[in-house]
Amino acid sequence: MKSAFIKAIELILSGNAELINILQVTARMSLTSSVCALLIGAPIGMWLGSRRFRGRDALVVINRTLMGTPPVVCGLLFYLLFSGVGPFRHLKLLFTVEIMIIAQIALITPIVIGNMETYTAGIAPRMMETAKGMGFSKWKTFLLLGNECIYPIFSAYLLAFSRAIAEVGAVSMVGGAIAWKTNVMTTAIMQYTNRGNFTLGIALGIILMGASLMINILITLLQKRLSK
Amino acid sequence: MKISAFTKTYEKKVVLHFPDFELVKGKITAVIGSNGSGKSTLAKVLAGIEPSDQKNHPLADGSVGYLPQKSYGFHMSVYANLMLNKHDKELASRRMDALKINDLAKKRADRLSGGETARMALARLLMGTYDLLILDEPTAAMDRESTLLAEELIKEYVRETGCAVLLITHSLQQARRIADEAIYLHAGELLEAGTVDQILYHPSRPETVQFLEFYGFV
Repeated sequence: MKSAFIKAIELILSGNAELINILQVTARMSLTSSVCALLIGAPIGMWLGSRRFRGRDALVVINRTLMGTPPVVCGLLFYLLFSGVGPFRHLKLLFTVEIMIIAQIALITPIVIGNMETYTAGIAPRMMETAKGMGFSKWKTFLLLGNECIYPIFSAYLLAFSRAIAEVGAVSMVGGAIAWKTNVMTTAIMQYTNRGNFTLGIALGIILMGASLMINILITLLQKRLSK
Repeated sequence: MKISAFTKTYEKKVVLHFPDFELVKGKITAVIGSNGSGKSTLAKVLAGIEPSDQKNHPLADGSVGYLPQKSYGFHMSVYANLMLNKHDKELASRRMDALKINDLAKKRADRLSGGETARMALARLLMGTYDLLILDEPTAAMDRESTLLAEELIKEYVRETGCAVLLITHSLQQARRIADEAIYLHAGELLEAGTVDQILYHPSRPETVQFLEFYGFV
């Protein structure tokens, strides 16, 4: 473990080109997919949590089911859709970072929706009653609801990012873990471990945990600052 | 101010049947009755929070301001909460003065106590101008001093704007102190309406007498 930790430090300091490429692909994939999932999922979650209509409970149940989608099932679905026999084969996205991002968005958007829906459903009835009592427009009420949800939006983003950076099943299926192209931290760890290079695997694991820790600290500090 | 007749049904049970009614502008009308008589339902339907069975909203002519029983404190300062309703620094200062919440101006509204939230919510609502003001137990969470301040502010607001006020209250003393008119609701029906003195001291219906006897009014 100690040697792996030293190896991790050495790897970072050495400026190893392959490691830097893996870090870049990981960062691009995780940040893009988590931000997209937040932009799509947060308004849907807020809308679902603040409205009462026929079929709402069914939508909530469907979303909760999607929250538990096994990554490999998601990977398989996108593999079939974009492979040579799939309807989207002409897009030629299989084994690219783009398809990895799309698969991750599909995986983590329901998590964002679920979190936002639960929080919003708790505050919306009182908040909207108060807003309507003052004659606020629907748009002003929705913007205010967004302001009330700043804190959970950060929590939802953290969850989304954590899932994105740690995910391996879907990205390895649709990305193919191609060196210098679609290899990310998690798939690289798997490759090194399969080759018996545990030290390098652990080193990458330490870097992955460190990166995740840094992002979490950053978001938590921002969250605290905004909630003051 | 005319209010159209409506009914409200929850789970196939009629919880309120309200007839055509006229509220007097510039007067406070107290709505009294025991729990489950339909007081809050009346407020919610008139404010458009709940639809009537006839879906004939709006039921009252003109703009409606409504203070729910449990108001929400937006996640910002008390002062910012007031400014949300109307951007008028001088008016906000007057409203906060009236309810003695100036010292809370910079405090976050979602971190206030129940009584403080009630005062902030009343001050915030009264930043706006309405033809009909519906207050659902506005002082239930307040102490005696704050209650009297709130009552003074409500009377001052009516003098300023000439609006009609529907004051839902469990306190008959409060009704006597600030209301001009009163209506008595019983099991979802409007049983009696008249001046406060008529309703509190000379009720005509046995149900009203029984209700008031409990409070030592008759």
